[in-house]
Amino acid sequence: MSDEHHPSPVDLPGEPDTHGRPLVWTSVTIAVATLFLGLTNAISLNGWAVELAPTETSARIVTVTESWEETTEAIGLAAPRAWLHARWKQLQALRFEGQDPAAE
Amino acid sequence: MLFPTLTFGLFFLAVYALTWAVRGSNEWRKILLLLASWVFYGAWDWRFVALLIFSAVLNWGTAALIARTDEEWEAGRRKALLVFGVAANLAILGFFKYYDFFLEQLGVLLHQFGFERDMPLLEIILPVGVSFFTFQGMSYLIDVARRKVPPASLLDMTLLMSFFPHLVAGPIVRASDLIPQFRQTPRLERGMVAMGLLLIVWGLFKKAVVASELSVNLVDPIFFDPSAHSSLDLVIAAYGYAVQIYCDFSAYSDMAIGLAALLGYRFPFNFNQPYRARSLQDFWRRWHISLSSWLRDYLYISLGGSRGGVWKACRNILLTMLLGGFWHGAKWTFLIWGGLHGIVQVMETLWRKFRPQHWPLMPAAIAIFITFHIVTLGWIFFRAETFDGAIAFLGGIGRGDWGATIATPLMIGLILFGMMIHFTPPTLAQGIALRLRSVPALLLGLGTGAVILIIDAMRFEGVAPFIYYQF
Repeated sequence: MSDEHHPSPVDLPGEPDTHGRPLVWTSVTIAVATLFLGLTNAISLNGWAVELAPTETSARIVTVTESWEETTEAIGLAAPRAWLHARWKQLQALRFEGQDPAAE
Repeated sequence: MLFPTLTFGLFFLAVYALTWAVRGSNEWRKILLLLASWVFYGAWDWRFVALLIFSAVLNWGTAALIARTDEEWEAGRRKALLVFGVAANLAILGFFKYYDFFLEQLGVLLHQFGFERDMPLLEIILPVGVSFFTFQGMSYLIDVARRKVPPASLLDMTLLMSFFPHLVAGPIVRASDLIPQFRQTPRLERGMVAMGLLLIVWGLFKKAVVASELSVNLVDPIFFDPSAHSSLDLVIAAYGYAVQIYCDFSAYSDMAIGLAALLGYRFPFNFNQPYRARSLQDFWRRWHISLSSWLRDYLYISLGGSRGGVWKACRNILLTMLLGGFWHGAKWTFLIWGGLHGIVQVMETLWRKFRPQHWPLMPAAIAIFITFHIVTLGWIFFRAETFDGAIAFLGGIGRGDWGATIATPLMIGLILFGMMIHFTPPTLAQGIALRLRSVPALLLGLGTGAVILIIDAMRFEGVAPFIYYQF
C-alpha cells in the first residue's frame, strides 16, 4: 500500500506545540469568543431569531433575544458594532465624481 | 445550513461539545459525527440523506468485493467490479445532473430533422454536493482496486462520504487522507487549532464581505443585463467576478478545513493563490487543487497521460478539461469554459515542446498578467447563464463605451484587495498561526470574537449560497 498523503494547511512548519492541554485551550477560546459575541452582537442574534419559522417556541426565543438586544443597547455593549456598521455604510455610500448619490 | 450563519454556528458548537465529550470512544465519536452530518445534509432536504447512505453502502460493498479478489488470478473479476462501481456512481451523477440536459439536446436534434417530440423531462432536483460525493466514492473504488488504500469499514466509508465540513462543496478529501485519521482518536494541537480558527475567520470575511458585496451590488446586476451597461462596467464586472468566485469558493474550502481542524482532522490544501499562476497548467495546480489532482490521477492518467507522445498528451489534456468543465454542470457554457482551459494548456504543452531553445522565457509579470486574463475570459462563460449571454457580454466590451460606471470606490477597493491577497507571502497565514498558538486562550477568544464582530458589522444583509453549492 502506498502512503499517499496530501499536505494540509493546518500542519504548521516546525515542531508541534505540545505544552498545555490543547483541548481545554481550544474550548476556552471558543467559549470566550462566543460569550464576547453574545454580549456585543445581540442585534445579529435577534436577526437570526426573527427569521426562524413562526412557532410558539420561536416566538419565545424572539421575546428573549429582543429583550437581550434592548439590554445590551442600554448598557452600551452594542455601541462598538453600531459604530463599525455606520462606518461601513459610509464606505458603501462613497461615489466617484459624477455618479448619482447612494439611495437612502 | 450555510457555514456563515448563526444556525450553523450553533450546530457546530453542539457537534464540537458532543464529539469531544465522547473522545474516550472513537467509534461513538464517529457515529455522532455521522449523525451530525446527516442532520446537516437533511437540513437542506431529508430525502437525499437516503441517496448519500445508498451511495456510501454501494461504494463500501463494491470496494470490499474488489479487495477480496486475487490480484493475479482474478484480474478480470476485479476490473468488472471496478467498472460496475464507477458506472453506478456515474449513473447517480448522470441521472440527477445530466438527464434533462441530454433529453433537451435530443429534442433540439430531433427538431432539426423535422421530428417534433415532447421530451419526458423530469425537472429533477439536483442534490447538493452530488458531484463531490460521487467523485469521492469513485476515487475510493479506484484506489482500492489499485491497492493504494485498504478497504474501509462501513462506518469509516459512510463518514468519509458524509462528513459535513466537506460534504457539499469539497475539498474532495480522498480515502488515503481521511480514513487513516478516522482509525485513530484525533488529538488537537495548538498550531492546528490556531490555523483552523484563522481559516474560519478569513473564510468568513472573504465570503460574507468581499464575495457578497461584489455579487449583489456589481456582478449580478451587470451579468443579468449586459446591454444596459457600459463597456467599462462589463470589464469591471468580469474582474469583479474573478475576485468574487475566488473569495466565495476558497472561503468555503478555508472554513471546511478550519472546522475539520477543530474536530481534530486534517483536510488538504484546495487553493494556493491561483491568480499568481504563470500559466494555465500552473493555475490548475493552485485552483481547486482537490478537483484538479482528482482529474489528473483518475482521468488524465487513466486516458494514458503523457505516455504515447506529445499529441496523445494534448488529446488527453483537452478531454480531461472538457470533462472537468462538464462536471461543473450540464450547460454548454461550462463545456466552453473547460474547452478554453484545455486548448490553452495544449498550446502551452506544444510551446514547451517545440519552443526554439535560444528564445528567451517570458517575464513572470507578463506571464501572470496573460494567464489571469485568459482565466477571466473563461469566467465570463462560466458565469453567463447562456452562450448567447456570454457573447452579448463580450460584444458589450467590444462596443468601446468607456464613459460611466456603476462601480463604487468600495467595489473597486474590494476587487484590488481580492487581487492583492494573491501576492502576499504564501506562508503568511501559517506564520500568523505559529504566533497565535502561544497566545493565552482568553486573549485569543477575545481577539477571535472581536474580528468576527467587525466582519459581522460589514457583512451584507443575508447570506447567498456558495457558488459551488450548485455543482
